[in-house]
Order: sequence, then structure tokens, then C-alpha cells
Amino acid sequence: MKLKLTLSASLFALSAAILPGVAVAEVSPLDLVQPIADYKIYVSENSEKLVADTKAFTDAVKAGDVEKAKSLFGATRMSYEAIEPIAELFSDLDGSIDSRADDHELAEKDPGFTGFHRIEYGLFAQNSTEGLGPVADQLMADVTELNKRITDLTLPPEKVVGGAAVLMEEVAATKISGEEDRYSHTDLWDFKANFDGSRKIFDLVRPLIEKDEAAFVTKVSANFDAVDTTLAKYKTADGYELYDKLSEDDRKVLAAAVNTLAEDLSTLRGKLGLN
Amino acid sequence: MSQSTGSASPRPASQKLMQLAVVGAAALVVAGGAAFYYASKNVKPAAAGDAITVTIKNGACDPNAITVAAGPSTFTIVNQSDRALEWEILDGVMVIEERENIAPGISQTLQAKLKPGDYEITCGLLNNPRGTLHVTPSAVSDAEAARPALRAYLGPLAEFQVFLVTQGNSLVKASQSLDAAIKAGDLEKAKAAYQSARVPYKQIEPMADQFADLHNAIDPVADYLEKREQDPAFTGFHRIEYGLYTQKSTAGLENYSTKLLADVTALKDRIRGLRISPEQIAKGAQRLMASTAETKVAAGVDHYAQTDLSDFEANVAGVSRMMALLKPVAVTAAPQVVGDIELRLTDVSTELKALRGPDGYPSYDGVNADTRKVLSQKMQALADAIGKLNAAVGLE
Repeated sequence: MKLKLTLSASLFALSAAILPGVAVAEVSPLDLVQPIADYKIYVSENSEKLVADTKAFTDAVKAGDVEKAKSLFGATRMSYEAIEPIAELFSDLDGSIDSRADDHELAEKDPGFTGFHRIEYGLFAQNSTEGLGPVADQLMADVTELNKRITDLTLPPEKVVGGAAVLMEEVAATKISGEEDRYSHTDLWDFKANFDGSRKIFDLVRPLIEKDEAAFVTKVSANFDAVDTTLAKYKTADGYELYDKLSEDDRKVLAAAVNTLAEDLSTLRGKLGLN
Repeated sequence: MSQSTGSASPRPASQKLMQLAVVGAAALVVAGGAAFYYASKNVKPAAAGDAITVTIKNGACDPNAITVAAGPSTFTIVNQSDRALEWEILDGVMVIEERENIAPGISQTLQAKLKPGDYEITCGLLNNPRGTLHVTPSAVSDAEAARPALRAYLGPLAEFQVFLVTQGNSLVKASQSLDAAIKAGDLEKAKAAYQSARVPYKQIEPMADQFADLHNAIDPVADYLEKREQDPAFTGFHRIEYGLYTQKSTAGLENYSTKLLADVTALKDRIRGLRISPEQIAKGAQRLMASTAETKVAAGVDHYAQTDLSDFEANVAGVSRMMALLKPVAVTAAPQVVGDIELRLTDVSTELKALRGPDGYPSYDGVNADTRKVLSQKMQALADAIGKLNAAVGLE
């Protein structure tokens, strides 16, 4: 596979060199302005939704309504996961909003363990909102601050384009394994959000490469479709099935498609002149 | 050695990640060991393009203080701790580059194109002490800073597009309210909507005034039309202003507000498709400030509502946004010009602010000739300062 790609790339370079009439595809930086502007709008819409959803979620936590808070957890995270390539650029907020117990010395007992996964631990592992009030307040303050910072941020173009692969790598590393939402098992919600975020980036830059990279575009689209179709089998009325419902066969299908997507999408930056 | 860590390979790091994933664990240990051996030799500051190995164990980075030359660098991260970790290069709270999910015993590479400056590196758990990364200027980075490449403007241009789209949406929305209020015969509501619509229009004026047909339909001033207020070409904002503020009625304005709404919607769509090149930002801002200073400040254009000061404020806000977007790219190449622009912007804003009373701006006919002259001079000074920017960053 890789050999074939390398070979066809060299053949292409060779033919471009010896045939003066064949223009080498080149994307001007100005062609990327529109996709990046559109992506910024997508990110802003998601971060505004995150603020609204987190308000309802943290209100339920603070009201001590365990069942309601549990039911809102998966959906609330989605707008964060969809824009993770940008959201995680703010290391302080990413740490306090989305760190896992493993990132802290004392794991679940660590006072620095805050944010979504700390609340997830309380709700799903301890079945209680006890002690979660201050964590909920901080989460609300953090997503509000995130939304504000995103508004002021000039998106780094290479992070936008690179984000398509980053999201798929994220899925491969933490969603396929069921590692991320280990207490709630709502990993498929995150998976879907990461997937949507990745596909959004690809769709935005797709017109720039469609002509010269037709085979690449077709292959990536087919893998996106494969993931979408498989994931759709687990759609429920208000979200997604728990991770343990995922069959071994489907897990394999997803893993294969996601790994290939991660690998293929990692070439996007180069194709768009952003390395 | 370089093959096992892949630092000489032009392939992206994630492809290597995939390769690593299929190679057996024994090979990984060898690779990690080789990288560690390399790290122990690699003690002096690396040049751009060299591979730097950072080993993480016992809650610290080794080496913990790294110096590299600006440009592309390859880092090999060796995780000798007992937990999966992510490795980040931080500029304040901002992540410049990162590698996530590096499993214990594994090494991964990260490629970063770094600008001169002082950064921090993370070393495992979130509360572990961070290391330092010092990036020294290089000939290439000096040349890039002096004359930023087209690519450097990509972020600011995209953000400018977002600004134009956002303001364009506000303009359409306020024009809808204006149209609805006029058709409902609600004079006060129409006046409020008129003022709300003016602000976004004036903020994007440096780009909006490039579409001559729409500009002539949306914002013509009666002074330049043969039959003045009675001229059939007197349409758009000022025609509606004339009805609302001079004739004090919404009667007969329905066709004008329908047309204005259609025109600003067309403007929004055209602006969205506009392919703006970097030099147009300063050029547009300079032209608007100069024409305002030369003509609009002296005579005013809002003859019926006398709200010119609000218009100027919105113009300056738009120009200020444009300059703020260019600053990160321009400041290294042209620190003095950027500084001067900021000074002149503050001058104009301060002058405007001083005219503001507790109920907002006074009616423009109450602003005397001397005050207008000072305002005009300050705007001209701002226009002149902006006029130097493109040449200073090599855009002319």
C-alpha cells in the first residue's frame, strides 16, 4: 500500500518534470482563507453550544439530580470533542476541562482532577453528585472562558488542516479502546463528535484537492462513509449505545477505517502546502 | 539510528506512528534504547533540522533545558515513565505542538517549526515541573520576520473573513428589523433599527465600498445627486434617514427598505466570496480613514439624523480590528510603523470618546468647526501611519 503510494507519487513527480505541459497542482495560501474562515465559524458555533449545554448539565449536577446529569453527560461533551484540535490548544483549560485521572499523580483522588471526567466519575462510578458543586462551577467558568478565548483566537492554519488527522488519531487512541469515558461508557458519543469534526475539516478543504487528488478524496470519503454507517447502527433515540454494546466485528471495522483515515488525513497538510 | 527514530524520513510522524504500531514490542524497545543512547550524546544546542531526544522519567524531562535554532526541528520523545503521557511545547498557555498518548516504553517523534522565543515543555503528569525550550533566531527566521510570506497572512485573512461575515449577518438582521418596523409604521422602532444597521455597515465599509453598484445604492449622499433629496437615485440608508428624521414618518419608505434589505443581502453574499489579498487590508483602511478625514468630517453625511460621530466610531472600530489582525504578522518586520498606528488609533478613539456625553454622542450639528478640524487631523495622521504599513512589511 505504502509502496504503491510512494511509487505513484514519484511517477507523478517524474511526469511533471518531463512533461512541461503538465502543471503541478499547487494550492495558493489564499485558497485556504475561505475554508479556515468557515471552520472558525463552525468552531465558534460549537463552543457556544458547549456553553449552553454545560449550563444545563452543571445545573443538574448542582441540583443533585443524578439521573438528569447522567443523561446530559454524553451530549454535552460532543461540542467539545468536535472542536478538540482547537479547544486543546489552550493547555490550561484542556487540563481542567478534559483531563483524565491518569494525568494526575493521585488519579481520582487528586485535587487537580477536575472537569468532565471528574464529574463523570462522581455520577457514574459513585452514583452521586456529592462534592461536585465546586467542580461544576469551575467547569462552567472554564467553558465560558474557552468560548471567549476562541472568539479572540486567530486559528493557526496548520492546526486546522492537521486537526482532521488529530481527531482520527484521538479516536484510534482513546475511543476505540473505550479508555476516555471509562465510568460512563459513552465513548461512542465522543467518537461521533470527533468523527464529525474531522469530516468537517476534510469537507471544507476538499474542493481545493478534488481535481488533482481524486483517488485520495475517493478513498478518504469511502472510509468516512464506512465509519458513519457502522456508527449509525448504534444510534439510539437520544444518542448512542454504551461502549460495551459495540460488537467485536464492528469494533474491528471501525478500528481499521479510523487507522487508515488517521494515516491518510495526516498527508492533508502537505497536500495543501502547510508543512 | 536515524532510521529507527525516523528523524531523517520526510514522511509525517503519524505514518510512523502507524508503522510503530505494527512493529513488534522488541523492536520498540530497541528503538527507545537507541534514542536514549543518542540523547546521552546530544548535549550541545542543536541546529535547526537536527533531532533532539527528550527522555521522560521520574517526573522530569532529560534534558530539561533545550536550545535549538529557529526553523524545523524534530523531537524524539522517549517515555520511560510508567504511564502514558502527552508531550507538549507551550507558549504561555498555548500549545504550539504536541504528541498525545505516548505509551510507557515507547518513543515517538514530533516535528515542529519554531519561531525564536522561549517556550516550555511538559514532562508527564500535569503537575510535574516543566522544562524549557529556548529557540534562537536563525538567518531564515530573520528573513521571514522581515518579509512575512503570503502564508503568514492566512490566519489574519481568515479571521478578517469571519469578521466580515459576522458584521454582514448583523447588517442583514438589522435591515430586516428596519424593513419590518417601516412596514409596521413604527417610527421609533425604525429609528433604532436604522442606527443598529449603520454600525456593522460602517465597520465593514473599507471592503463594502469596493462594490460600486451596491455602494451607490446603499449609501449615496443627496449632496452628490442632481436633484438632491428628490433625485430618483437617492436610495438606501440616507433616503430612509431622510424620511425617519426629517419627514418624521415611515410613510413612503417601504420600497426603500425593501430595496436596502435586498442590497445589503447581496453585499453580504459578495463579501463572502471576496478573495482578499494581504495588502488590501491596510490599503482599504488607509483609504477609508483618508477620505473620512478629507471630506466627511468637515461636512458630515448624516444630514438628517446628525449621527456622524457614531458612524466615525464604527469606522474606527473596523479599522482597529483590521490593524489588530495584521499586528502579529507585521510587528517583527515593522515595529515602529505598528507602534505608530496604535498610537494614532488611540488618538482618534480618545478624541471621539471625549465628545461622548452620558447619553451618547451629541448631534453632529452641535460639533463646532474647530473640533471637526482636530478630529480630521487625527484621522489623517492615522491614515498616514497605516499608509506606511504595506511597504514596511514588503507587500508593495
